[in-house]
Amino acid sequence: MQAESTERIAYAAPRTRGLMRGRAFLVRLLNDIRVFPALLLIPVLIFFILWNVIPTLWMIGLSFYKYSLMSPNERFLGLRNYNDILNDVQVWASLGRTFVWVFAGVSIQTALGFLLGLLFWGSRDMPGRRIALTMLFAPMIITPIAAGAFFQLIYEPTFGVVNWVVRQFGGNVNLLGDTNLAFGAVLFVDIWMWTPFMILITLAALGSVPKAELEAAEVDRLPWLQRFRHIILPNAKFILMLGILLRTIDSFKTLDLIYLMTRGGPGNTTDLIALLLRRQAFEALEFGWASALALILLLTAIAFTSIYLYILNLSSKRQEA
Amino acid sequence: MLQNWLRRSILVFVLIALMLAPIASAQDAHPLAGRTIDMAILGIGGWLPSSLGASMANDLFRPYAQENFGYTVNFTFAESPFESLFQRAAASLATRSNEFNIIISDSQWLGAFAEPGWIVDIDELIANGIPSMGIDPQPALDLELYSKVARDTYQVYPDGTDEIWGLPQEGDVIVLYVRKDLLLDPEERAAFEGEYGFAMPETFEDFEALTMEQFEQMAAFFTRPDQDLYGTIMQHSRVYDFQTMYLYPFMWSNGGQIWNPETREVWGVLNSQVNADAMIWNRRMLDYQPPGAVNAGIAENVDAYTQGKVFSAFQWAAVGLSMVEDPELRANTLIVPPPGFMQEDGSISRIYSMGGQPWVVNAFNTPEQMRVAVDFLNWWYLPETQLEFARRGGNPVVASVVNDPGFNDINPWNRAYAYMLTDGRALDFWHEPNYSEMLAVQQEGFTAFASGQVNDPMNTLNWIACRQQAILYDNLRSEIAPPAECDSITLN
Amino acid sequence: MMRVRGWRKTVYHTALWLVALIFFAPIAWIILGAFKTRSGILATPPLLIFTPTLDNFIDLFSRRNIPGYFLNSFVMSLSAMVIAIVVSFMAAYAFSRFKPRITNFLMFMLLSIRMVPAVAVVVPVYLMYAAIGWKNSYIGLILFYAMFSIPFSVWILKGFLDGVSQRYDETALVNGGTRWHVLFRVVLPQVAPGLVAAFIFNLIFVWNEFLFNLILGGRDTTMIPVAFSTDLYSDGGLNWTFIAAMATAYMIPPIILVYVFQKYLLVGMTFGTVRGEV
Repeated sequence: MQAESTERIAYAAPRTRGLMRGRAFLVRLLNDIRVFPALLLIPVLIFFILWNVIPTLWMIGLSFYKYSLMSPNERFLGLRNYNDILNDVQVWASLGRTFVWVFAGVSIQTALGFLLGLLFWGSRDMPGRRIALTMLFAPMIITPIAAGAFFQLIYEPTFGVVNWVVRQFGGNVNLLGDTNLAFGAVLFVDIWMWTPFMILITLAALGSVPKAELEAAEVDRLPWLQRFRHIILPNAKFILMLGILLRTIDSFKTLDLIYLMTRGGPGNTTDLIALLLRRQAFEALEFGWASALALILLLTAIAFTSIYLYILNLSSKRQEA
Repeated sequence: MLQNWLRRSILVFVLIALMLAPIASAQDAHPLAGRTIDMAILGIGGWLPSSLGASMANDLFRPYAQENFGYTVNFTFAESPFESLFQRAAASLATRSNEFNIIISDSQWLGAFAEPGWIVDIDELIANGIPSMGIDPQPALDLELYSKVARDTYQVYPDGTDEIWGLPQEGDVIVLYVRKDLLLDPEERAAFEGEYGFAMPETFEDFEALTMEQFEQMAAFFTRPDQDLYGTIMQHSRVYDFQTMYLYPFMWSNGGQIWNPETREVWGVLNSQVNADAMIWNRRMLDYQPPGAVNAGIAENVDAYTQGKVFSAFQWAAVGLSMVEDPELRANTLIVPPPGFMQEDGSISRIYSMGGQPWVVNAFNTPEQMRVAVDFLNWWYLPETQLEFARRGGNPVVASVVNDPGFNDINPWNRAYAYMLTDGRALDFWHEPNYSEMLAVQQEGFTAFASGQVNDPMNTLNWIACRQQAILYDNLRSEIAPPAECDSITLN
Repeated sequence: MMRVRGWRKTVYHTALWLVALIFFAPIAWIILGAFKTRSGILATPPLLIFTPTLDNFIDLFSRRNIPGYFLNSFVMSLSAMVIAIVVSFMAAYAFSRFKPRITNFLMFMLLSIRMVPAVAVVVPVYLMYAAIGWKNSYIGLILFYAMFSIPFSVWILKGFLDGVSQRYDETALVNGGTRWHVLFRVVLPQVAPGLVAAFIFNLIFVWNEFLFNLILGGRDTTMIPVAFSTDLYSDGGLNWTFIAAMATAYMIPPIILVYVFQKYLLVGMTFGTVRGEV
């Protein structure tokens, strides 16, 4: 314990007795078992209260008002904002679209990511593995703004690569301008960006499967499917589920990518809830209305996550048992 | 002796006068003399007229201020694209920040900036100055603009009054860019005449008399997907006001209205049969446009024209420089008024959308910044500054400059620009504080129809009118509530 | 685990490389574009062979504001990360060792702020910042980004700390170390992979973040993604050469990070369930 002895020397070299006593007291206090955990938690609690509790309370308050940045005099509306939102067909339509987006996106990413992850499992001795994996993970680390801008060009019917290829076969396709195709075209970019994340998660999850159990299965010549069901899945499940949870949360919030590519159009075929909220909050500057919707979304998200964590807890308990 | 004395005393007097002169003029000097002031202009990203304003501020106003007022000013330029500039400005101004001292605002934002008191009242500035900051009345800023519609667009809020809040920075109208090699090709002309029974227009004057029906036939004639060539391109993008600006001409020119500015009634005005027909016509124009046109905005439009994909383009005069940047294309381009619409009495009428931006001045500027802003604006409207602006590719709005006999020759689009800036040929839409909410609604509706997501124009208009009326009513801007039937109207 | 030999191994590795290349292709297309002229980018059929030009990068870095934006991106994402990691580590340690009754509640609530669309979070924070004058300030943005990175970091680090035996702490304490000493000198090195993973994941988030910077930031605190969206258009057209050059320059730091710390990234995502390599 080299470091520790130097610290002791430091403590033993006070300038005055009083200061030393004060300092010793402070050291003891900081070290006290009753004080120490509280000290550890104070910073996170400060962050939590300042940026979580206060804004949420503020948001709840605002949601009962007609409050626009442009008119300084707000008007109390009671529950009218909520009433308006719950009766707004556009809100429901874009919520519906968001659920389709989340469900389709996350399940394709998970399935594809899991399969490719399996494929990459055991690639330890692959030549240039580190470079290949870096290339594979690259889509998830570029900013959605850049990805969106470039896919706009790739999809562009006059100058883009996609339509150039299609034209070679005599067709013509305008991916972002066609009301039937735009949603899929944007979803494709999302899948391209986030499948690598699910590959990463799968690799981590597979890595958490105990090697001893796998080797035992090898010795027992257990069929692949059985190995998968009885050894791999139970061990990998926890991390996989966490990965899916993170993806679900982020997918629910998708904004930048669509904002850049279609602005929710053509028509409103790609208008997800985050875009609607953004428009109300920062184009219309209707903070009251936006706060009410934000609160509804927060509650929805908390409900979903709770169910999710509940299932996750159940399965991990079953695993322990 | 006496003469000597006289001479000497005159000499002394002159010397004293010379010594006193600097002191006397110092009393007259600019209060900021010797100081250095930092100013920030917020303008529209990728928009040549905005960046021209900023670069001229640094290149020309800076030395001008140094020489005439004795202070040093450094301008920085911040920018955002059309669709996010307002939120960036609003998010800053709402905190009473002087982060941006002078803002290039889009015309329809005047109300949104003026209503909460974020910008300087120009009427007040002209008549009384800002006494609390020691700024004198500024009669020179009482400008005579080229037309009333220009004044209504760039200066006036609320609509229909005489109150002014902005000063024109860039004037803008929609003009038609046409490729001469195709238009003037004898074989093409003969083939066209053989097919449609009339000759294509050749000159500026011919185009003044061209109707949209005739133009449609020309556009159809040049639509040749196998050659990767299309008849024309407009703007149908959902971004910002793009689709709106290119749909309005079809409504206004045929007698349609978008609201009643006095009562702020939308319902019953916007949802008219004329406007529904206009939407159908506007959508039909997509048949002659490249496949990406349903998403085309200003930039995509420029790309299509400069890359030779279209015979003609309906485009803002303000991007003239980008449209004909290439000298070869410049020589090959005819810039004319866009087609008119045949009226019942046989006359031709055209009312296209106004673009362009005013300067507005941040009300939270420090006295120093306010004084520099006022100096800058006074300088901006000097005739030589305005002419230099035009020479660099900008579009002045001040009457004396546009009426100057040399003006039409400065840029190839100037003649068409001045033609369209005239009263009765262009209009701007509402300057309401809630414009952005109202705009978002109709952009959604109009693009849903243009893209074919919905196919009932009347229902789309009803839906838009309901929502816009509700916005005006909820914000206490109008006493007219949306009718009860609105509850049952949905977009799709 | 697949065990393959000989030519089948070659086929297997080729297939893996192919997958990696397919995912990388759009990015390669952007990088190629950064070395093309404007008409080269817009050319049909697409240009694969062309004379590369560095003009786009010269144009990019000679724009007055761009170097400053890069600096902002570096300073803000790094300082937010350091703050977030220290705070999260302390909290995760408390959760892991002392198991206070609020653990589950706090862990959940921490996650909840990540669940809502960013716009929902940014409205009240904007109003709060406007009231205390933190809009367009470094401190406001750095602390906000730190806050946003804490939940995920706490989750990762708690997993790792749960995996570090309490005996480490006890032995060190018995040997006379203070608790703080144990925390930062003894336990911290044990969870290095978790720290690195949390660091990289959150860094990528902040590095790419757009909306908060647009609304809470301002003239002096603009980072690259906002600059991206504001400078996207050149006079009259989408500025493809700028987009390509900017995207390329901007991707390099995170790609290097992923290359260098790849091992930790994989171990980190196991949330502490694995101690070796993955």
